Amino acid sequence: MTVRPLGADSDLPISGRTATAASPWRLFWRRNGAGYAFLTPWFVGFFGLTIGPALISLYLSFTDFNLLQSPHWVGDANYLRIFTADAKFMQALRVTFFFAVVSVPLKLAFALAIAMLLNRGLKGLPIYRAIFYLPSLLGASVAIAVLWRELFAGDGVINQLLGYVGITGPSWISNPRYALWTIILLAVWQFGSPMVIFLAGLRQIPQDLYEAAAIDGASKARQFWSVTLPLLTPVIFFNAIIQGIDAFKSFTPAFIISGGTGNPINSTLFYTLYLYQEAFGFFRMGNAAALAWILLIIIAVFTGISFLTSRYWVYYDE
Amino acid sequence: MRSNRRQFLLGSAAVLAAGASGFRPAFAADANLRQIFWGSQERANRTYKTNDLFTAANPGTKITGEFYAWNDYWPKLATETAGGNAPDIIQMDYRYIVEYATRQAIAPLDEFVGKELDLHDFDQDQIEGGKVNGKLYGISLGANSVASIVNTAAFKEAGVPVPDNNFTYDDLRAACEAFKKANIRGGMKAFQDGSGVEPLLENWLRQRGKALYTADGKLGFDAKDATEWFKLWNDLRNDGLIVSADDQALDTGPLDQTMVIQGKAAVTFANSNQLVAFQALTKDPLTITAFPRVGKDGKGGHYRKPSMFWSVAQQSKLQSDAAKYLSFFINDVNANKTVLGVERGIPAAASVRNAIAPTLSPQDQVALHFVANLGDLLGPIPPPPPSNAGEIDIDLILKTSQQVAFGQQSPEDAGPAFVQQATDILSRKG
Repeated sequence: MTVRPLGADSDLPISGRTATAASPWRLFWRRNGAGYAFLTPWFVGFFGLTIGPALISLYLSFTDFNLLQSPHWVGDANYLRIFTADAKFMQALRVTFFFAVVSVPLKLAFALAIAMLLNRGLKGLPIYRAIFYLPSLLGASVAIAVLWRELFAGDGVINQLLGYVGITGPSWISNPRYALWTIILLAVWQFGSPMVIFLAGLRQIPQDLYEAAAIDGASKARQFWSVTLPLLTPVIFFNAIIQGIDAFKSFTPAFIISGGTGNPINSTLFYTLYLYQEAFGFFRMGNAAALAWILLIIIAVFTGISFLTSRYWVYYDE
Repeated sequence: MRSNRRQFLLGSAAVLAAGASGFRPAFAADANLRQIFWGSQERANRTYKTNDLFTAANPGTKITGEFYAWNDYWPKLATETAGGNAPDIIQMDYRYIVEYATRQAIAPLDEFVGKELDLHDFDQDQIEGGKVNGKLYGISLGANSVASIVNTAAFKEAGVPVPDNNFTYDDLRAACEAFKKANIRGGMKAFQDGSGVEPLLENWLRQRGKALYTADGKLGFDAKDATEWFKLWNDLRNDGLIVSADDQALDTGPLDQTMVIQGKAAVTFANSNQLVAFQALTKDPLTITAFPRVGKDGKGGHYRKPSMFWSVAQQSKLQSDAAKYLSFFINDVNANKTVLGVERGIPAAASVRNAIAPTLSPQDQVALHFVANLGDLLGPIPPPPPSNAGEIDIDLILKTSQQVAFGQQSPEDAGPAFVQQATDILSRKG
């Protein structure tokens, strides 16, 4: 449903009785009122469930609030403390950035590789596509995180397999050197949704470009670097933004695998997990709200930088 | 467009239907009480059966219970309370009762005593344990104490005598060495790593005349104590006598992840009333014994405390019905004998305790008499911990213990760092 802007129908007959009395607002309402009335459910949701709580959380971020007593104003104390005296905040940032910087490129590379394999005119493509997409549907679920915990525990399946070749593996999920890597692996395993988008992107590349390149004597590798990759940059850009934001917001795997602790030794203390602990573990809602707003700004800055730099490397074929 | 309109109409119909069912008036005679507690499936089964017995005895009053693991329980309760949607009947812990009472989240029950709530043969010290500022806010569901959960089958296989109440930390090392030599069940250790267990540290400190927290909410020990504590366990770990850092870190809280249930160690540190819940998770026979003594004359580390309480929400409109339920729960001989047993602790009503004693299994008898048999190990109950102490219990002590276990910090560095960070947490506001 489109909402007509004010004055768009200046040639509309206006009844004489109200012509002089009608204020711009009444006119606006008369023309668009029905439309807005139909939008009411959406407005209720948007203001009641999105904007309202967001503003309240902004207010709470300047208070000390423990859920049981009403919040009281502390000014910028929460923010000040987070930036000057909070070792766990720094650790959470370290873990989250490391996770994003390692898991997103790995995941995209993996997704692109599989997409290119599937793009070679296989029979039964929809079936393969569905199979490879499956982990993306399951991956964020609690069940998979529980399964991951079992796979990578000290006497889990992975170590039993390693045992056959004579390697005694550590308990991957409970060792601070490897715990984060098991979660990165879980993220990379869910390469399905960027893969599907890559597959669509690959289909868009005109075949004649490859033919022309082949006639000019370009090898397959050369074709990849000079034809496929440049023409795919808009899709890569899109995938990187979406997956990057997802990585910053990642919560469930770390929560399940570490039992909500971020252990061992905070090595899986994702930003959102730290936020959750502050809010629901230690009932510091004000501090947690401040953390949430800082995360919002971090994601906004990250996305903004991506868009600014995109003009130098994203190629739009016009 | 057409389908959109149809969807919209369907949607509004659904909204109307939901609204209509929400506004349906409750029948005046029906009292529907909501109940929330933490614990295992075993506890839930026993609780729900008791609820059915209560409804059978009081037609028209229904109890709807839900339960969570300890770590999930407190966020759930706090959010429901803050949202004005607190369950009527709330399981409460000694650690939190002062906070909930002083913030008027739970109701004083004094007005119901002698009427809906019958406490005529209830242990006086258990009544006192449920009081905050002179008013009764919690009905104790049994006395308990910290205790070691011991896999007796494993000790038998290893040919090592099962620890008793005179067991010391020196004996602990000897038992660990004997287990190492016996090498049963693929290298099972005698003991879990206890360095990250807050109640064990408290017990050890109390035997040395110190405390975890002072009455005015400060730390009751210094860096030297903490260093010695982490060193004690580090030496055992380095000698390969207790479970490895990798294995111990797998334990993130739930009972099924503890070293004794995972089969990594024959002893885990817990509470005396938890014997029933632990036993439900393993085929090996378990028993309980006291925490180790610091020396032959180490004493006073343990204390008898209410294992948990039932409290009633301040927001509840059915407080007198809730009080009636509480009274049934603690006094009904049939429910306690056939269903509840000693799963939550030793019943504090004398008539119930006497009635169930002969019906208990030998193992439950051990639990029943455990606290009474502690003798000189028993000391006075400490004041409830200060309000930020939860972060030290579930977060800081565990992380410090792991930093030492994984070699990131020496015990000599970990002791002062632990004390410094704990002091910071306690002095923190907001």
